[in-house]
Amino acid sequence: MVDQERPKPRAAREPGSDQWPSLLQTAVVATAFKILLFPAYKSTDFEVHRNWLAITHTLPVKRWYYEATSEWTLDYPPGFAVFEWLLSYPASLIDPAMVQIKNLNYDSWATVCFQRSSVILTELLLVYALHRYTKSSPPSTRRQSHAVALSILLSPGLLIIDHIHFQYNGFLYGVLVLSIVLARTESTLLYSGILFALLLCLKHIYLYLAPAYFVYLLRMYCLDPKNILRPQIVNVLKLGTIIIGIFGVAFGPFAAWGQLQQLRDRLFPFARGLCHAYWAPNVWAIYSFLDRILIFTAPYLWLHVDQNAVNSVTRGLVGDTSFAVLPEITARHCFGLTLAFQIVALTKLWLAPSWESFVGAITLCGYASFLFGWHVHEKAILLVIIPFSLLAAKDRSYLASFRPLAVAGHVSLFPLIFTAAEFPIKVAYTVSWLIIFLYTFDQLAPAPSRRRVFLLDRFALLYIVVSVPLMVYCSLLHRIVFGQKYEFLPLMFISTYSAVGVLGSWLGFMVCYLS
Amino acid sequence: MSSPSNSHRPRKRRKELARSLTITDIVKLDPRDNAITPEFPLVAFLWPSRGTTSQWILLPLILMVVAIFRWSVGLWGYSGYQQPPMHGDLEAQRHWMEATTHLPAFQWYFYDLQYWGLDYPPLTAYHSWLCGKVGSLFRQDWFALDTSRGLEDPDLKVFMRATVIVSEYLVYIPALIIFLRHYSRAQGTGTTSTAIALVAILMQPATLLIDHGHFQYNTVMLGFVVATLSSLYAGRPLWSCLFFVAALGFKQMALYYSPIVFAYLLGSCLTPKVRLGRLLSIAAVTVLAFTVLFAPLLIGSVFDSYTTSDLPALPPPPFLAERQVRLDPNSPIEMVVLQISQVIHRMFPFARGLFEDKVANFWCFANTFYKLGKLQAFVDLPRLSAIFTLVSILGPTLIIAAVPKKALLPYALATSAWGFFLFSFQVHEKSVLLPLLPMTLLLGSKQGLSKEYRAWIGWANLVGVWTMFPLLKRDGLQTPYVVISLLWSYLLGLPPTSVDAYYDPDHENVPGRPLAPDDLRTPTKILHFQTYIVMAFWHLLAAFATPPDDKPDLWVVSNSCIGALCFGICYLWCFWKLLSESGLIDGYSGRSDAHEGSPVATDRLTADSEIKEK
Repeated sequence: MVDQERPKPRAAREPGSDQWPSLLQTAVVATAFKILLFPAYKSTDFEVHRNWLAITHTLPVKRWYYEATSEWTLDYPPGFAVFEWLLSYPASLIDPAMVQIKNLNYDSWATVCFQRSSVILTELLLVYALHRYTKSSPPSTRRQSHAVALSILLSPGLLIIDHIHFQYNGFLYGVLVLSIVLARTESTLLYSGILFALLLCLKHIYLYLAPAYFVYLLRMYCLDPKNILRPQIVNVLKLGTIIIGIFGVAFGPFAAWGQLQQLRDRLFPFARGLCHAYWAPNVWAIYSFLDRILIFTAPYLWLHVDQNAVNSVTRGLVGDTSFAVLPEITARHCFGLTLAFQIVALTKLWLAPSWESFVGAITLCGYASFLFGWHVHEKAILLVIIPFSLLAAKDRSYLASFRPLAVAGHVSLFPLIFTAAEFPIKVAYTVSWLIIFLYTFDQLAPAPSRRRVFLLDRFALLYIVVSVPLMVYCSLLHRIVFGQKYEFLPLMFISTYSAVGVLGSWLGFMVCYLS
Repeated sequence: MSSPSNSHRPRKRRKELARSLTITDIVKLDPRDNAITPEFPLVAFLWPSRGTTSQWILLPLILMVVAIFRWSVGLWGYSGYQQPPMHGDLEAQRHWMEATTHLPAFQWYFYDLQYWGLDYPPLTAYHSWLCGKVGSLFRQDWFALDTSRGLEDPDLKVFMRATVIVSEYLVYIPALIIFLRHYSRAQGTGTTSTAIALVAILMQPATLLIDHGHFQYNTVMLGFVVATLSSLYAGRPLWSCLFFVAALGFKQMALYYSPIVFAYLLGSCLTPKVRLGRLLSIAAVTVLAFTVLFAPLLIGSVFDSYTTSDLPALPPPPFLAERQVRLDPNSPIEMVVLQISQVIHRMFPFARGLFEDKVANFWCFANTFYKLGKLQAFVDLPRLSAIFTLVSILGPTLIIAAVPKKALLPYALATSAWGFFLFSFQVHEKSVLLPLLPMTLLLGSKQGLSKEYRAWIGWANLVGVWTMFPLLKRDGLQTPYVVISLLWSYLLGLPPTSVDAYYDPDHENVPGRPLAPDDLRTPTKILHFQTYIVMAFWHLLAAFATPPDDKPDLWVVSNSCIGALCFGICYLWCFWKLLSESGLIDGYSGRSDAHEGSPVATDRLTADSEIKEK
């Protein structure tokens, strides 16, 4: 072949367009699957969101946070209420009975279709955010970024929580990812901050990540990145005004009506206990597990056993747990520990600010609040998994600590879906996802540039393998051996097992991040 | 043969892509910057797996992903849900599990025939027995005799769905994987192309929706047929007899394939030289297999006739009763005859009409325009249908007997099954799965993913699933129907989601342009596009328009008539492909076949020689 004859290579292709399968193709297939899940099991969260549709549709704003016909009162910030209010208009067209407050537990087929498809449609924001993410990544890491984007799009966590259990996390994480992507270039830092403020108005759980944003924006936007002592007054004013404006619009009316106290009570129900009914896999799950074990060993160790707690222990599943042997934990302890570990990550971010250490700091803020937080839900693990995914294929040491998290985090979500019909779906989907993406990341992740610290890497494999007999026991053997007795045992095993994985991956990530 | 069109196709000149010749069917190469674009989305999904990825990772993943889709279709409705008193196919299968686990074998084919009497051959009965035994371990009351009728427990549904998927994964899927391995080796299909064909075959919308949505066990029978085919490819004719008897023993519909299997085995014993030993051993194994198939039922019945003191009355089947044959259940020989005749009577319900409901075959089509009832006075309709069927299958049978080449088997099986589907007696709309299977298997052949084959096979499958829409609608499966059909057409880059298979942007459609080897010709394009438009329009009508009062079935009837026409064309296409691939007409019409089958082959040969030159 003669070279001169060849036409010039086409102008730069659309970034990411040479990666297959493309985000769009994956989204099409994933959407087809999600539509097939319409008749699947749905939790009380479905009714929660229907009730919010009804509240926002029928009542004036003043009464949104006071309405209590249903036990599932509005406990998200006003932004999400407005989101529900917007949805309630098409909802009322599709089935007017859906937006009646009195229609408790109403789930006509039209309602199911509407609510489920609203989850799918709003999730398109996540697809867009991921598209922006691959586009914004440098060409040298585009393959990794593309794989990461697909892994987030297909995340089993989102599938289980959003499309079976029922919530709107896909949309919310879309806002988060978009905000993280916008933080990548200096010119869009402001928009990143604005989006995060909006996100806080949509769901306050993201407050856990706010310290990282605060430090990063302060360091990179409000101060001169090269000289900490020279504040950028214009930027401070811009960011400050807009953020105050956003919160003013969101909370101002309620402040004017004197409802802030009511909002606080609804949004932050501190009356709840340390652990949720099903222990989220965090430090407190391990702590409670140790307490359980100590109950049996305490007589030999001359420890005092609190009999009240023992009785509540055997009931296992019911509400709050108090400790029989180990000292009680208060909200103050949780808060202190969370903040302490967040500060470790934030110090590094302050000293060496870069987009990647920003994502790392977000992940570590998520980790700290998940591991040490008060009354953490297992669903909050997405706060860790999704930001971490953005770094998972960065190099092999990050990947090594991502693996146990990917296994533990998703296994810990399994008890959310306990019906027989959905069991094969959650297991097969998660296993496929783990195989596809852990394998792909393994192929794509380069060797780390710094010295590799091998920490418990061998145990990680063992840890992953243990998940198989654990799942077999919890979902099958336990019922055969004990029948309906000791129902808390499988849940306890799963959360303790997952807690070990999350904790281990946190340690690994800390080492990667700080070294 | 000189082929000027080659100069337009620089993609064939790529040296790096020469690993597999079928690669040019699945990717487009941009000559300007050597960037590769998958031809259709399914390629894109399997593209990352090429080369280094081990089959030990890829295969389980494919199987898990298709299982997830199957199971999620299973979350939807099934045949007969909340439709007392008879319910539907799920209840029938459950009832057989109930009957076979609780009744002695001699009563299986006699017990309360009005309520879903067993009307499949014995292997189905054994399968039901096994599933019933396993199910009773979970819950006794699911299969309690008589009292469990019409049970609609959600957990029972999960169990029944699980039996379908487990049976499929034990029979159909291993058979398909092994078959594709033999087939791709014989055809020279690349690994990635084979994986693509595997996914495309497993996601076939009609089979998936009927088995996992409507509820049936077709894939078990189809799996045995694929195993038959696989054994033939592997050169193990005796195994193929065994598998084919198993297929027949599971569902008598496998008879659609029987002329071809018979003719192929016979032909392979006669050409190139007569091998009598082979013929005899084939016959012996077949007889043995049938004996083994019936043995448990017969031994069980005879045993029961000894142990049970007062047997209930077992009326002989009508075709014996008419001839005044009396059979005494207490005598072992007569018990055997009675059981076999009853099974045959139950399997072939000649007493029913020529066709049931509305089915997209010739009889329903003809009946729309000329009431066949009037014809009944002159000719015996069953006999007429038998003659038509015989004529339609004669061609493929003779060809395969004369040229017993393995490569022709899928074409011949498809042609014969289309013939049966179109002309035989008592056809169900679900029987369209039988001709669709071998036709879809062609995706694994060397030109299977070319635009021509993809377009034709895709068209047949999409029309096939469309003709079952009235059935699926009754089961509340409209949404899975839409999702799974569109998903399949999307994955294979077919209308209504894409027209890429019909149009090549690099290859302008100007008059006089030489055809690319896998280009579709204009009449085909018109035919396919018209069908897609008609199908879409039909859906609009059926969804929004009420039929006129005097013709309440207008939409359903028009669906079957259009379907019958398309299936007739599918029959002709398969027949034509069979004829041109068999090489029988090469001498006569070199010109006409130059456009159809062989240019692909010659083109490939030139590509091959080019590679060798380099």
